[in-house]
Amino acid sequence: MAAEKILEFKQVALSFGETEVLKNIDLSLDSGQFYTLLGPSGSGKSTILKLISGQLQPSSGQVIFDGQVINDLPAERRRVNTVFQNYSLFPNMNVYDNVAFGPRLKKMSEATIEEKVKEMLGLVKLSGYENREINELSGGQQQRVAIARALANDPELLLLDEPLSALDYKLRKVLQTELRTIQRRLGITFVFVTHDQEEALAMSDWIFVMNDGVIQQQGSPEDIYDEPVNHFVADFIGESNIVPGIMKEDYLVHFVGKDFDNRDAGMRPNEAVEVVLRPEDLDLTTPEAGKLVVTIKNQSFRGDYYEIMAQDDDLNLWQVQATNPAEIGSRVGLTFDPEDIHIMRYNESEEDFDARLEAYEDDETPTDPSDSADKVPEVFDHE
Amino acid sequence: MKVIERFWLSFCFFLLYAPILFLVVYSFNQGETMQTFDGFSWQHYQELWADTRLLQIVLNTILLALLSSLIATVIGTIGALAIFRTQRKLLKQSLLSLNNVLLVSPDVIIGAAFLILMTALGLKMGFLTVLMAHVAFSIPIVVLMVLPKLQEMNQDLALAASDLGAKPTEVLTKVTLPVISSGIFAGFFMALTYSLDDFAVTFFVTGNGFSTLAVEVYSRARQGVSLEINALSTLMLFLAFVLVLAYYAYSQKKQGQKTKLKEKVK
Repeated sequence: MAAEKILEFKQVALSFGETEVLKNIDLSLDSGQFYTLLGPSGSGKSTILKLISGQLQPSSGQVIFDGQVINDLPAERRRVNTVFQNYSLFPNMNVYDNVAFGPRLKKMSEATIEEKVKEMLGLVKLSGYENREINELSGGQQQRVAIARALANDPELLLLDEPLSALDYKLRKVLQTELRTIQRRLGITFVFVTHDQEEALAMSDWIFVMNDGVIQQQGSPEDIYDEPVNHFVADFIGESNIVPGIMKEDYLVHFVGKDFDNRDAGMRPNEAVEVVLRPEDLDLTTPEAGKLVVTIKNQSFRGDYYEIMAQDDDLNLWQVQATNPAEIGSRVGLTFDPEDIHIMRYNESEEDFDARLEAYEDDETPTDPSDSADKVPEVFDHE
Repeated sequence: MKVIERFWLSFCFFLLYAPILFLVVYSFNQGETMQTFDGFSWQHYQELWADTRLLQIVLNTILLALLSSLIATVIGTIGALAIFRTQRKLLKQSLLSLNNVLLVSPDVIIGAAFLILMTALGLKMGFLTVLMAHVAFSIPIVVLMVLPKLQEMNQDLALAASDLGAKPTEVLTKVTLPVISSGIFAGFFMALTYSLDDFAVTFFVTGNGFSTLAVEVYSRARQGVSLEINALSTLMLFLAFVLVLAYYAYSQKKQGQKTKLKEKVK
């Protein structure tokens, strides 16, 4: 199935006076996918959303929707709808009138509108709430109405600006699953903005990691998590142990004073690199069997695992997630597999990174986001 | 302590209402003055009913108040929207200050200023000049009541409306105006009361053949207040009480509906 390209950014930049908010963004969205813009606050992710919805116009570059440049098209004429972070429901209308707002502007017949509203409220599980006033609803219910209101307009693209950030943890989980279900059922393209990496990994087909107005990395949740391109991505997505190292030759890396076999290649001999080891990939063992010997400094119970901080003899701190508790102050061994070691070169661009991976991984993995625009990212099930 | 509190409160209210009570009681006086109460009679009410000039003036006053506050509400609301949308801080502050200066400056000065302006323009003093003056002094009141509502409003509402396909005029009529409607109504009623009891400004700009209640009572009072005025005041007071009670009953009912709904939700 060849997916259609629905939205494209070509060299889009935006600055307010001296401040560059976005720097030459190129991105391309296929229809029917769940995209996430992930980044810390101030990274420019919400700005991208506003450029798509028409609240902002780019300083340079082109925003292309369905093959047409829409830089200056006013928001009300774009086939894009937004779910706002603070819900922004109209307080002077009840639930029904809020959802019917868009269809009424389109001068649909009242019978069609009623059908539409009923369908949308059913979709967000609020059937029977038609006559409720907005201030009688809980935060979660208000967000459901906001989603129904945006969807009632039959958008080709739905933008969600941190829609779940004001909700409690449990409710957030529930709505994450529901949003994913709604997206699959309707087949609309969703662009979801969040600073919550867990949320991004759980919901998305494709993630754009943003920082400082630049897309740092894009890819499927697995790619982003397993193969972070740089220090920022490795640190922002999940927990990481990052130590400096030297890539002696292909498949041999040197760090914390030892040589380790690994699965990375394509670098200059003896190139300085950063080594990433995820805490859940590290296992505790006896000092004799360990690849590293460390002292347990402290640990905290996190429900489904223990978070352990350990220190090696070079005073590097290692974060370990273990199912069993360890004894504080004891000397233990740390072990990991060659494939758990991820190598990052300093200042490597995403294109170079992908090209290098492609070169030595042969046809092992289909990871090549450079032609991702013409390819449907696989739908991964995280439930 | 409680006793003293109660006493103090009653005393205050007594002070506030004593003159009005005095006025009401004497409206039923058989005699012609407020010196002695000679017995109960409706005679001043009958006089009032027969005094078509005074009744005409009452109607004039009400018509003037309704019309001037309506026009002022429209202009004031547009003004508040304009001030609210002004981006430059200095300009915004200046506009707001100019608005507030009009609000606090004494009526006499505003009245005199309008008299000078209208004479210079060669206008004939009468209903139109009074109406213009009332509209002018009511506008700042409306602006002051509407502006806070605009500032309170969630600014994303307008974005949400245009996001859903509303043109700028539709955003205004379907979202912004309804959301700030309580401020607009408050502004209208404030303007109404200001217009109803204005004396100073009206006194300056009114001419032959047009008079409002405040001006009329003042001119009659110079020859000694007729008890007919007491009768009229009593009737208006009664009307005010009825209106306040009706509003109270209405708001109680609305409150009741809300709590009922809340219980149902639970």
